This record gives sequence, C-alpha cells and structure tokens, in this order.
Amino acid sequence: MSEPANTTRVPIVERVLEANDQVASTTRAELERRGIFAVDIIGAPGSGKTALLEATLRALKGRRRPAVLVGDLATRRDGDRLARWCDQVVQISTGQGCHLEAGEVRDSLAQIDLETVDLLLIENVGNLICPVGFDLGQAAKVGVFAVTDGDDKAAKHPYLVQAADLLLLNKIDLLPYVPFDRAAFQADIRLLNPTVPTLDVSATTEEGLDAWLAWLERGTA
Amino acid sequence: MAGVHEFSIADALSTQVKLHAPAGKRVREVEIRVGALRGLEPEAMRMCWQAVTLDTVLAGSELVIDLLPWTLTCPTCGRVWDSPVPFADCVCGETAPTPTASDELDLMSLTVEEEEGSEVDAGANPSVAEKAS
Repeated sequence: MSEPANTTRVPIVERVLEANDQVASTTRAELERRGIFAVDIIGAPGSGKTALLEATLRALKGRRRPAVLVGDLATRRDGDRLARWCDQVVQISTGQGCHLEAGEVRDSLAQIDLETVDLLLIENVGNLICPVGFDLGQAAKVGVFAVTDGDDKAAKHPYLVQAADLLLLNKIDLLPYVPFDRAAFQADIRLLNPTVPTLDVSATTEEGLDAWLAWLERGTA
Repeated sequence: MAGVHEFSIADALSTQVKLHAPAGKRVREVEIRVGALRGLEPEAMRMCWQAVTLDTVLAGSELVIDLLPWTLTCPTCGRVWDSPVPFADCVCGETAPTPTASDELDLMSLTVEEEEGSEVDAGANPSVAEKAS
C-alpha cells in the first residue's frame, strides 16, 4: 500500500457489533432477573419453525407461560398463526432486514407483560446465516434443519452448528420420501461441534416433540 | 441473502467508524478482522461498504478485510494447517480433520489524513471537509 506521508493509522480494536451486543446484554440480564428462559430459533425459510412453534405452544398450554416474538420480512402471517395458541405474540416486521437485532427484541418486549411469562420463544427471520452473529439477549440458540432441505445443510452453515445450544432435525415424517443421509448429516455436525445435542422431530406428526418440550421445560425449571 | 448479511454489518461498521474518526480528518482506510465462522464474502462486503458510505463523510474510504482462515487438525497424524474451507482431507489420507475457527468481527484501525491532506482532497469533494467537522 503506497500511503502518502500525510496519513496516520489509528488503532481501535473494537467489536463491530458492540452496540448490538450491549443492548443484548441488558436484555439478557433483565430476562434472567425475571426468570424467563429466552430461546432464539434459527432456521431456513420453510424448515418448519412456525409449525414447530404451533405444536410447541399447543403442548405447553397450562404447563408453561410462553410469549412469542416472530421476525418476518413483510407479512403478519406467522404471528397470526401463533396467536391462536398464545396470548402474547408480537410480530416484528424487519422490512429489508434478514435477521432480528437486539434493539428490535428489546422494543418488542415492551409490548409483553413479562410478569406473566416464564418462556420467551423468538422465531428469527428465515435464514441460516445472518441471524447467528446477532446476539438478541437469548439464553439459548436453537438451529432448525429439515430433512427436505438436504443432508448438507449443517456442513454449509458451520457458524450455526457451532453457536447452537441445540439442533433440531424437523420433518422426520418425510424421511421415507426424500433422499437424506442421516449418518452424513450427523457426522458433519459432530466434526463442527462435538457436544451440541441434536433431536429429531416432526411438527406435523408430533414425533419426537416430547424430548424438545422436555429440553424447553428444563430451561424454565 | 449473503449480500444483505454484509449490508447490515457494513451499516453497523459505518456508525462505529464515524464515532471513532478524529474530528475534521478524512478517513482513507478502514481495517477489519473477520473470523472464518462469520462466512463473510469480502467482495460483497466491499460493495456494501461503498453503498452505505456513499454521500457520507466516509465516501471513498477503502475497506481492508483481514479474513482469518479455518484451522484444521488431523486426528490421525496430528498435522495442523490453515484452510479457507472447513472440510478438507489431510495429506495422510484422513478424511475428517477437525475444523475450528473464530467468530470475531472487529474494527482494527482507521487510517486518516492529516490536515494538509484534507485540503488537497477538499477540491475533489468539497462536502467531505465540511461534514467531517
């Protein structure tokens, strides 16, 4: 680099997402203080996040007191679907934004009566890449893959696999109908993250749902 | 989606750079360091940087990206090496070396013009010198 003599290099060394992370830290402290278990659910469009949440809310009725934040680019459809099963649903329309940011979560929490909540489910915008790097103040990140998306999705999204506290493989009722090598899928996950627990589920048939509910209930215990 | 990903990072970075830029001095270069886990595309990132800095005091500044690689460790022969991708075979024949990488995303430094330099450039882009103060 041929810099002219009249320039100066100013060392900084600061995280680019520092502002987002600070808001997230405040949110995390507040949720922990209130004993609310917050889960950031990340998965591709069509991986079945909303269907999984519908089944989850239906099953948790009377057992836990959940609230839901739903991030979506434009429509309110996901929020409307979930509102049938949960009184406290806030839809966050991100417009052009491909992920939720900490400020959006903080602002949406103002619309929820946190006194009556012990579980916060955050459905992030359908995307396997962008949401991973943005801290929202959650206690746990859950990655959702679907057998219909192919067995290479874990390998292609190493950040999610490494950052997740739990990985779900959804739509397992469709395994007989689609080519999906479970051994290869699991092997990729183990290389990237030897310790992350994985669960097989079907939001449609509710197969495997109990293990997922037990995981959520352990978080809120 | 990759482009949008880089866009929001570029947007956050431009806010951060404006906070740190010494008053009245034009920023020539912005240096960031990015861990392989972030999956950042340098070319997309530079395009987004141009877009978000357009018509601002940072217009024309160059984004320098230090992309950190994956580290692969072979469980068979113990070899450790850098790789641009997380999955690669070892020279010993092992097909499943262990990939590790960092997720850092840091603003490392700014390179700014001293007083005389601002005057030289003021002719080419008069708004810059005014907005920078």
